[in-house]
Amino acid sequence: MTEQEVIELIDSSLAEEFELDRADMTADANIYEDLGLDSLDTVDMVIVLEGAFDFKIREEESIRAIRTLGDIHRFVMQKVEENS
Amino acid sequence: MSGMADTCKPVENNNCWSLPLALMNIWCYGMLILWTLSGILLFPFALGLCLLILRWPVDRLMRWYIWIYGRGWLLLMSPFVSFRREQMENIRPGEPCLFVVNHLSFFDTYCMALLPVHDIIFAVRAWPFRIFWYAQFMRLARYMNVEDSSWFETLDNCKQAFANNGTVLFFPEGSRSRDGQLQRFYSGGFKAAIAAGVPLVPLCIDGTDILLPPGRKQLRPCRIKLRVLEPIDTETFSGNDGPIKLRKLVKERMATALEEMRRDRRETND
Repeated sequence: MTEQEVIELIDSSLAEEFELDRADMTADANIYEDLGLDSLDTVDMVIVLEGAFDFKIREEESIRAIRTLGDIHRFVMQKVEENS
Repeated sequence: MSGMADTCKPVENNNCWSLPLALMNIWCYGMLILWTLSGILLFPFALGLCLLILRWPVDRLMRWYIWIYGRGWLLLMSPFVSFRREQMENIRPGEPCLFVVNHLSFFDTYCMALLPVHDIIFAVRAWPFRIFWYAQFMRLARYMNVEDSSWFETLDNCKQAFANNGTVLFFPEGSRSRDGQLQRFYSGGFKAAIAAGVPLVPLCIDGTDILLPPGRKQLRPCRIKLRVLEPIDTETFSGNDGPIKLRKLVKERMATALEEMRRDRRETND
């Protein structure tokens, strides 16, 4: 998958699960302040990403450090590269 | 004063006061304060006595004490609130399971004393742990602060509870519904049930939003029902999308049951 395809899959999966407006989903959007997610949503976020990309996410610290949509993009890109 | 619950009807204007309503609020809030103070003051003696007689671990004793406290609250509210339990045979005492229940009011947790099991660990947000007169009891009972814990800590705590034949209870909406309708469900509880390999038991509560809606202070007489839905075997929900499928199935079943319970309530009020 190209980087753009990965980003599109991330954004579309998250938009569907959390009913987000795609117009708000910019790389520097803070997932808590701008997109309205809260700490409990991180479990759902992991489930959605695991389902979309068919990998397992176990790195708790990396997940807890995520603040922006761009952080999610970079995190998933790294996972995709590790698994390829 | 008795019989107020039998004639209660949902009222739009929650700011209207009448003598019976004022008396109800004085009684219920007064008794709640007295009962809570008694519970706090008697706790050290009760704990010591129970440790001697029952020899249970402190956290399990704490949960039993909280259940007794909840039962006392049900009794004190009974002049104004009728409580009804439905389909309790769907619970198998002594067998670990994970409960999920819809969330309408502050008093939903009190109503869990209607259940025939006392060894319940509540998985809640951080804010109840900031209510100082409850916080120590919640910590002793090993209730889970899911907001400040990592997923793996939460899962570990759940597994420990299940290993001791206890149950864990989640409010999958995460906060009280403002309009009585089911909100979006968080998947954490569903994922925990699947990962731990225990049955998931949906609970439906109705009427607590009339007793005390979110953001209000005035209590109103009502009929509260707690219904236990059929347990779901989580072993069939494997795969990465298992928690989402389970979550959607449970939400659908709860929505159907709640609609039926509310229809019954409307027909009874008419």
